[in-house]
Amino acid sequence: MNEKRYAIVLDTKKCLNCKACTVACRVENEVPHEDGAYRIWVTALELQGKFPDLHQDFEPSQCQHCQNTPCESVCPTHATYKTPEGVVLVDYDKCILCKACMTACPYDARFVHEHHKAIDKCTMCYHRLAEGREPACVETCPTKVRVFGDLNDPNSQVSKLLDTNRYYRLKEDRNTNPRLYYIIK
Amino acid sequence: MATHVEKTGSSLIQINPSKAPIPFIILGLILLAIGGYATLQVLFKGHEAVYGVTREVPWGLLISTYAYFVITSTGLAFIGGLGHAFGFEKYSKVSKRIVVMAFVILLAGFTQIGMEIGHPIRLMIYMILSPNLSAPIVWMGVFYGIELVILAIELYLVFKPNQTAKDHETAKVVGFFALLVGVFATSNLGYVFGSLNARPFYHGIYFSTFLVISGITAGAALLMVIHNIIYGWNIPEKLNSTMNALGKIMGMGIALMAFLYLWKILSSIYTQPGDAYLSAMALIKGPLSKNFWIGELGLAVIIPFLIIVFTKAKNTKALGVAGIIFMIGLFFTRYDFVVAGQLPPMRKALEGSGVEAVNGLVQYSPSAGEWMIFALGWGLFLFLYFMAEKFLNLETDEHH
Repeated sequence: MNEKRYAIVLDTKKCLNCKACTVACRVENEVPHEDGAYRIWVTALELQGKFPDLHQDFEPSQCQHCQNTPCESVCPTHATYKTPEGVVLVDYDKCILCKACMTACPYDARFVHEHHKAIDKCTMCYHRLAEGREPACVETCPTKVRVFGDLNDPNSQVSKLLDTNRYYRLKEDRNTNPRLYYIIK
Repeated sequence: MATHVEKTGSSLIQINPSKAPIPFIILGLILLAIGGYATLQVLFKGHEAVYGVTREVPWGLLISTYAYFVITSTGLAFIGGLGHAFGFEKYSKVSKRIVVMAFVILLAGFTQIGMEIGHPIRLMIYMILSPNLSAPIVWMGVFYGIELVILAIELYLVFKPNQTAKDHETAKVVGFFALLVGVFATSNLGYVFGSLNARPFYHGIYFSTFLVISGITAGAALLMVIHNIIYGWNIPEKLNSTMNALGKIMGMGIALMAFLYLWKILSSIYTQPGDAYLSAMALIKGPLSKNFWIGELGLAVIIPFLIIVFTKAKNTKALGVAGIIFMIGLFFTRYDFVVAGQLPPMRKALEGSGVEAVNGLVQYSPSAGEWMIFALGWGLFLFLYFMAEKFLNLETDEHH
């Protein structure tokens, strides 16, 4: 198999909720500081246990780069499209801002980028990949929560992690077949 | 099937001595001015600054009003098609008004979608250059575009002087296609929502069916309202049978709407704790409950239905009142339809998630700018339609 198939594997137990990933993303991709404008987020999940034995998990997330892509199928102009590696991107020049993709996305991963006058979302930092660099959120994480790589390469770290760990994906019942995998520990 | 021949008035332009249209023309101009101001605001400040829609609820008042107008237009075209294509003479007695009304209200709908979409010009370019044929919005554009052309042809045919038998044959064919394309356009609008993976409330055949039925009901209601206005709430006896037939369509439509409501709401409740359940509960006892109980059920179902039943659809004034009440209630129906499905959040509203929710639902309320664009649509409809009433001959004279 020649083509790459990019994915991100997340070990959320390592997440400190430092939000360095969200800052790195905003800077790398020039995401404006406006209400509702963000490509990635870190959710602080509900507290678990009983006092004083409490603990809390954090769940970083973003566009799931679904293989069955609800946003792509409703886009009237093919502004939303998938690269050969399975990365879901938006062609700003073709976007008419009908917002059908926003209403179709079960992950609320899209927003209106006021400067581009188009829909915006996580691109897995596609512009960096050709240079052999990882997405900004992956690169900046101090505890390496996210691991980025090629699922078609059995020797990649993402393939090995998925071979040796149990994992879940978000909203699997929606049949979107996401490319973000959350390790269960 | 009965055949009919329409003899239209001899002249296209005929100033109506009635003063009834004038206040509506003036109201239309005022609303157009308000909408024009908002349009400038959108052009200079951008959609995001003027509209109240959010990341969580991207479709709001303008999509609702668009649906309200265009579905009413296709409902009118359906009734017109019954007259033209299928020989229901009672409806062809008002065929000119039907065609003009359907055309103008479709234009009013286009103002809403034109102001909603961020790049309407780009839409026209890329829907041709790189259309995604699996996207229902493409077909929405195709069907409503064809409907506009068909209605334009119908306009030409109903106003053409010295009509020949061939013109009437052509009108039958065109009327049939207006009906057919209208049904496809409206049911496809249900599919635009039904194809949204994230929004289970819209899934299934329900909305495609409901929109077609409520659209035909709206067409009948609007015809009765406008005729009452034009004739000063004293509709001529020659149109009594037409109004009676429209009243029956409306009564039947409302009964079907109530039937569909019952099963939609019940089946949604049984999806607990799913998103369709949350949407149904938003209607029943959540943020949309006043709209639902008072607007959707009270004004658009119960009151007009009771009026029609108790008057046996024979009192034209009562039908006009029922029509007005229904058309007001129908606005809430359309608004709730668009908004309710989007209120369940896609992520829990926890710290850091970026989602804000009240009682487990995200929130939306239209901005002043959106209400002003709403006024733009109504202004265009009132101004153009009542100008047509004032300056064109909309009487369809004789039928055989």
